[in-house]
Amino acid sequence: MLRYIIRRLGLIIVTLAVISLAIFAIVEILPGDVAKMMLKQNATEESLDRLREQLGLYRPWYERYFDWVWGVLRGDWGTSYVTGIPISEILGRRVVHSLALALFALVFGIPLAVLAGIWAGIRPDRLADRIMSMVGMVGISMPEFVTGVIFMLVLASKFELLPPTSMMLPGETPWTRPQILVLPALTLTVVLFAYIMRMTRASVIEVMQSAYVRTATLKGIPMHQVVRRHVLPNAMLPTITIIAANMGYMLGGLIIVENVFAYPGLGQMLLFSIQQRDFPLLESLVLLIAGTYAISNLLADLSYAALDPRIRVS
Amino acid sequence: MTEDVNLNGGQPLVEMSHLAVTFYTPRGTVRAIRDASLRIERGEVVGLVGESGCGKSTAALALMGYLPGTTKVEGSLLFEGQEINEMSPAELRKLWGKRIAMVYQDPATALNPTMRVGPQIDELLQHHLQLSKSEAQQKTIELFTSVKLADPDTIGNRYPHQMSGGQQQRAVIAMALACEPDLLIMDEPTTGLDVTTEATILDLVVDLKDRFKAGILYVSHNLGVIARVADRVVVMYAGQTIEEAPVRDLFKAPRHPYTAGLLSCVPAPVSTENSAVQLSSIPGSVFPASLPTEEACLFAPRCPMAQERCRTEVPAVFDAGGDHSARCFFWGDVRPGIWGTDELRQEGERGEVEPVLTATSLRKRYGHWERKYLFFGPWVRPPVRALTGVDFAVGSGRTLGIVGESGSGKTTAARVVVGLVPSDGGQLTLQDEEMPSAVQDRSRSQRAAVRMVFQNPKASLNPKLPIRHAILRALRKFAGLNRRESLERARELMEAVGLGPELLDRPPTELSGGQQQRVALAGAFAANPELVVLDEAVSALDVSVQAQVLNLLDRHQDETGTSHIFISHDLGVVRYVSDDILVLYAGHVAESGPAESVLNSPSHPYTEALLSAAPVPDPDAPPTHIRLPGAVPTMRERFQGCFFAGRCPRKLDGDICDTTPPPVRTGPRSSKHVIHCHIPLEELTALQRNGTST
Repeated sequence: MLRYIIRRLGLIIVTLAVISLAIFAIVEILPGDVAKMMLKQNATEESLDRLREQLGLYRPWYERYFDWVWGVLRGDWGTSYVTGIPISEILGRRVVHSLALALFALVFGIPLAVLAGIWAGIRPDRLADRIMSMVGMVGISMPEFVTGVIFMLVLASKFELLPPTSMMLPGETPWTRPQILVLPALTLTVVLFAYIMRMTRASVIEVMQSAYVRTATLKGIPMHQVVRRHVLPNAMLPTITIIAANMGYMLGGLIIVENVFAYPGLGQMLLFSIQQRDFPLLESLVLLIAGTYAISNLLADLSYAALDPRIRVS
Repeated sequence: MTEDVNLNGGQPLVEMSHLAVTFYTPRGTVRAIRDASLRIERGEVVGLVGESGCGKSTAALALMGYLPGTTKVEGSLLFEGQEINEMSPAELRKLWGKRIAMVYQDPATALNPTMRVGPQIDELLQHHLQLSKSEAQQKTIELFTSVKLADPDTIGNRYPHQMSGGQQQRAVIAMALACEPDLLIMDEPTTGLDVTTEATILDLVVDLKDRFKAGILYVSHNLGVIARVADRVVVMYAGQTIEEAPVRDLFKAPRHPYTAGLLSCVPAPVSTENSAVQLSSIPGSVFPASLPTEEACLFAPRCPMAQERCRTEVPAVFDAGGDHSARCFFWGDVRPGIWGTDELRQEGERGEVEPVLTATSLRKRYGHWERKYLFFGPWVRPPVRALTGVDFAVGSGRTLGIVGESGSGKTTAARVVVGLVPSDGGQLTLQDEEMPSAVQDRSRSQRAAVRMVFQNPKASLNPKLPIRHAILRALRKFAGLNRRESLERARELMEAVGLGPELLDRPPTELSGGQQQRVALAGAFAANPELVVLDEAVSALDVSVQAQVLNLLDRHQDETGTSHIFISHDLGVVRYVSDDILVLYAGHVAESGPAESVLNSPSHPYTEALLSAAPVPDPDAPPTHIRLPGAVPTMRERFQGCFFAGRCPRKLDGDICDTTPPPVRTGPRSSKHVIHCHIPLEELTALQRNGTST
């Protein structure tokens, strides 16, 4: 098992190296001049030139790449072009925010979706299954910004139960005012619910038809024991993969949800860095998000192995 | 047995009378069982035999009361006088596992893969017998002992995938025996296992029957298996039970023409003289389950004895005396000869022939060495050696049969010959010309010369296209015919394989399995091949259809002089079709040579074990004693001595078998007959003579 983890971590490092090179290359060929963006209309040729020199833009790309990588490895992620703040400081805060939101959605949304999927899958085509499949369909078909705006209109504007935006004042954290998390987390839950519920339902149905569940049923043991010991451990395997795939998305891909609610997470920062051509920030963000994806996939495979002895013991 | 019956006041354990089961599916109504009656007494094994789709598995599930909710069940099904069809789910759950238990066809899928095997049995004991956890574990160990699993104390800690197929099936049987049920249903428990494993499981069933007072319903399509285990046999056809008799009477004097037909379709594995007799086959196909039962005998369209009465009147079940009954008006006239079995096969001349294909020291490995930690660490996980220097030759117009258990390398050998998997070494020579190992490097004529037919015709025909595509493609590509000529030739080929040319425009889904396999054969013959490789090509077919295809292959070979490589796990079938036989074990040649030399002593101990394991469709066949426990080794390790030493029942004292590769010995009857074994041939002959007489 240890051998497997070491191999996988090795592969993650390779993946990240390839991704870092790819982002760097894309940034190189992206149109737009950082210096012009930074200095705006009061730019002269001379000041632009000086700024480019200062930012090191005249050095060959590989020198800059290795400088950057070396910095990242030492924990020095560079400085944001636009804000002048060290990137590690920006990211540190934003990662905490994103984690808080993801955790909120995970703790409430995923168990709900998994339970609903099991309920629907054990007795397919009953009323409960149909209702939940319909809810799932609606959740999947509606874009996040529509769902988010509906929640905002109903819960914040109409009934004034919750703050309409999730902006944070300086010094605030999600822990000091947790109510700002509710709306974005709710929106996320609706999106995730559909995926995870449907996946759980499908695999529960499949496992229910397997020969070993028939064996278990024909042992004459109670139905709840059949479900708990024979159906669930097998049916959860594909669900875990879906959850892990969504972990990466929740930490870095929430561009739309975060922008709808003005929630200061990583997704919002990603959009900002692209719009502002803040390349060091963009590069660091992409690397971070890629790393999150890779690690949540590893976690998924490890929990897969924990559940499935065919992978664990071989 | 009679005492048991009296003890229970004459009430049979199970009494099924005029059972009918109809499934309503989105694709139509399926009349799985039309009219089935049988009884099972305590302490007896009733064999339920029939071809696929005859309703035998449905009958087993109906006995468990386990049919989907949309099913219509008519007739009566009494278990100790109680009607199973009227039981509530809660009542059934009290029977399941405790009074009625089942053993399933495929043990690999019947066990929960995420749970250790022991606890899967413990939970049953805990529930039904209210045992504590540790008591249940103790009892599970006893059960493992009683089904003769090695290491009963620890084997329960394994997961199903860590056990061999035979061990898995023993564990499932242990599970079924856990509460000492009154009725044990075994639904094809050895189908899908290797013959060697099958033989050990059958030994166990025979042994259980003596130790154990339950009634056993043993469902199988295999007459040899039924002959070995059953006391009484019930034959099903098209959802009806058509004959019932004590096992000896049924095999010696069948009273239904269908039973007589089935018996004459099965090639006997060993007896040499029988292979000269042409197998008979049952023409036509089974009465479809989608049609309502006709006012006639459902077998009449295929019956050689059918008369006018059979087509207009429903035959009752007639008592033929001595506990023997048959659903046939003319049961008194049924004789083995009705299927015309006395025809002798035309044997090709036995002299030396030029080889069409010669394979010299073929090697094939799957996988490659890996580093323990991605880029660092020692090299681990050696590749699987599927073929390690295998030599064989296929004579012109001859058939080479390849036998061995799963994992022996026989399928790899077939794929290397057709070029599907390129070999890692060795040489293939086709008609004195070297043939490249990968199919894409071969010339068009070489590709046309070597064709392959796979086990599952359904998977090798495109379900969306009419079947003519499979044949026309080969004709255009390899025979160089234009559109009109190829269509004409396709019609001829269809007739040659015994199918109507009008079927050319049908999709494969409208054809039966036997028809599909004949289409696959027509596709292979279309290229006018020199060599056809048949990888388990008749294994999925029912015996009656299998006989048709075997005879078709035989006739085609006589007419065109094509050579065949015929791979099968069924020694009887291989014996029937083969001129030469190659016995493979763990990627090594154990023995090869002319069929009659290989199958008679002296044989390699592995061949001997395979022969000993093959079930014979004759209840009076002398019992065989040589059994191979375990399975073929993984082939990742390199053998120090003899490849077979780990399982050899005739392993020599001393360590020569473990340390030295075996010498190649030439058989006494033919210089082509080679045996790779340390034991001198005279000694092998003596041992094997003694073995069969005791």
